[in-house]
Amino acid sequence: MDALVLDQVTKAFGALRAVDDLSARVPSGSIYGFLGPNGAGKTTTLRMIMNIIAPDSGRIGVLGKTPLDQAKERIGYMPEERGLYRKMTVRSVLSYLGAIKGMKRAALSRAISDWLDTVGLADWANRKVEELSKGMQQKLQFVATVISDPEILILDEPFSGLDPINLDLLKGIMLRMRDAGKTVIFSTHMMEQAERLCDLILLVNRGRKVFEGALEEIQSRFVANAVEAELEGDTAFLSELPVVKSVTRNGRRMEISLADGADSQELLRALVGRVRVRAFEVKVPSLHEIFVRLVGGVDGTPAASPVL
Amino acid sequence: MTRIITVAKREYLETVKSKVFILNLVLTPLLVVGGIFLSTRMTQKTMEGPRPVKVIAVTDLTGQAIPELLRLSQEYNKFNPQREILLTLSTEGDASHTQELKDKVQRGELAAFLLISKDALGSGKGKSYCYVKALGMTDMDLYSTVQRMINDAIVTTRFRQKNLPPELYAELHRYVPFEQVDLGAKPQEKRDPLAMLMAPFFFLFLMFTGIIAVNQQIMTSVIEEKNSRVMEVILSAVSPFQLMSGKILGLAGAGLTLVFFWGVTAYGAAAYRGMTAVVTVANLTYFVLYYILGFLLISSILAAIGSVCNTMKEAQSMMMPVMIIFILPMFMWFYIAQHPQAPLSIALSFIPPITPMIMILRIASNPEIPFIQILASFLVLGASVPAVMWASAKVFRTGILMYGKPPSLRELLRWLRYS
Repeated sequence: MDALVLDQVTKAFGALRAVDDLSARVPSGSIYGFLGPNGAGKTTTLRMIMNIIAPDSGRIGVLGKTPLDQAKERIGYMPEERGLYRKMTVRSVLSYLGAIKGMKRAALSRAISDWLDTVGLADWANRKVEELSKGMQQKLQFVATVISDPEILILDEPFSGLDPINLDLLKGIMLRMRDAGKTVIFSTHMMEQAERLCDLILLVNRGRKVFEGALEEIQSRFVANAVEAELEGDTAFLSELPVVKSVTRNGRRMEISLADGADSQELLRALVGRVRVRAFEVKVPSLHEIFVRLVGGVDGTPAASPVL
Repeated sequence: MTRIITVAKREYLETVKSKVFILNLVLTPLLVVGGIFLSTRMTQKTMEGPRPVKVIAVTDLTGQAIPELLRLSQEYNKFNPQREILLTLSTEGDASHTQELKDKVQRGELAAFLLISKDALGSGKGKSYCYVKALGMTDMDLYSTVQRMINDAIVTTRFRQKNLPPELYAELHRYVPFEQVDLGAKPQEKRDPLAMLMAPFFFLFLMFTGIIAVNQQIMTSVIEEKNSRVMEVILSAVSPFQLMSGKILGLAGAGLTLVFFWGVTAYGAAAYRGMTAVVTVANLTYFVLYYILGFLLISSILAAIGSVCNTMKEAQSMMMPVMIIFILPMFMWFYIAQHPQAPLSIALSFIPPITPMIMILRIASNPEIPFIQILASFLVLGASVPAVMWASAKVFRTGILMYGKPPSLRELLRWLRYS
């Protein structure tokens, strides 16, 4: 069963089409990255999934045929702009947020203790939220999101504002959930994090889908056309090689840009024997680069064609 | 439904535990009781306590009342040594003398100057004057004492003129005291007229404060949830309708707690003074019903206002028009309590925001309100409360996710049309 299905979902705010005919499938038990520049429609889509706003047209299916308001109980949602009741105690905030998700008191109580121990906030259980430091409040926010043991986690820009420690903590939680068979959907524009975590990605720009699929797939569609090498010997002949488009030297390292259609192995063969090869790295384009290339310019106008 | 209760529970507990609530709960009865106690004591003191000697000039143009005036004032001073009134008496009627006395009043050397007209003894048609300087005679007791004194003097002088002894006047003049017996009251109850007067006000006050005191909280709570951004997390679990209902329910509970506590305290105080006759089962039932309906109406409106505002200041200025209507009964309470069946009172009973208060005022003032009117008022509320709640819910659901300038009235109306 798919955790989530979006079928031609559209949402406009006046003249602005925030989400435009978006379709996607999120299989259960995966980490699914929802990527795009600011203003691409990510937050709007996530809010529609959470039934906070309604789409103009199209269908959203969560956990199979479950009606959206029931499904809400099984989803943990962390919005982009975070906040908790400042004047309540840590324990009572978690109790309340768990209770509105339908948790029963005994299970809730256990879950709270366990999670507080896990994130190291057990000593602060009876302190008011406003007494916690920013980092602690962030941790509390994670716990609040997962306290009801949801089947799906939906996180909107979860990494923004986190220090490295909390970042790792969150990533650990996300991976642990995925390994336990839950589905994690998150939106971000931090491509490095997405690269390391996602099984599948959905790339959107200006409300429209640009790409959906596995990371490897999108990477393979962008031909590796550069090589970073460290060579010993006379390398003057490099620019003359037919496979080489250009060479940029950086001290001992050089970035060799390959001609269109050229295979990096040809270059390697040409080098071996003529120079001493100390390092030879075929550059797979990073998601960041792919993203920029696809979505390109300052206002998100694509440098390449919009749909692959 | 369980969601609504969960939200309501939190709202109730957080409200009841807050310092503001507890302070309100305890201080208000203290202040009200203390205030009443203090003011009665102070009035007593002015009415009966010691007072500096007041000098009053009297010019008697009849020329004949002087002996009686003198006698009466000396008698008064004998019995009220701490509150003496000194009369300087003359019969000089010429303009310059009169003017001099008026000037003395102006300068504050005299408390007042009384000019008794020439035919006061006779037909009494001529005008007598009492010259005071603005605040000079605000001492009501002084004024009434002097008036009485002069009238008694005139009457006893008339007696003398008819060759009747002046003492006869006092004898013949005795009032017949009446005791008020309310046939509608149970035999062992004593209906204290003061209680009859003040009870409607207490009912009104209880309802008014009970609704206002707690409802501020709903706006604060909504705005806080918006500002702390926890709103979205909450909405990921409950619908806006459930959220609003839960809040209103929780606060209604807090309001009832408050009213109950105050009510019990007031009842206790009333029982202490033997004034409990006004609190009947019928009155109490009506009170609770009207309170709930009035509460729901106001809290829906305030929830809607809270949902579109980002700060308390914005909310409070939006709240103004509502509050002005709502506070109207407090200004008109005396008239309505005295004339519960007047056309104005009846008309005011059917303006939904103030219906509960006007009706409880009328019912407490006069238990004989025709049932048809009570029924009609419930019908009016029964129609308007759900309508207002529906409109407020629509505004609420859109408003809570909007940040930025609060919408204009036209925009709000547009929201009502979209779902």
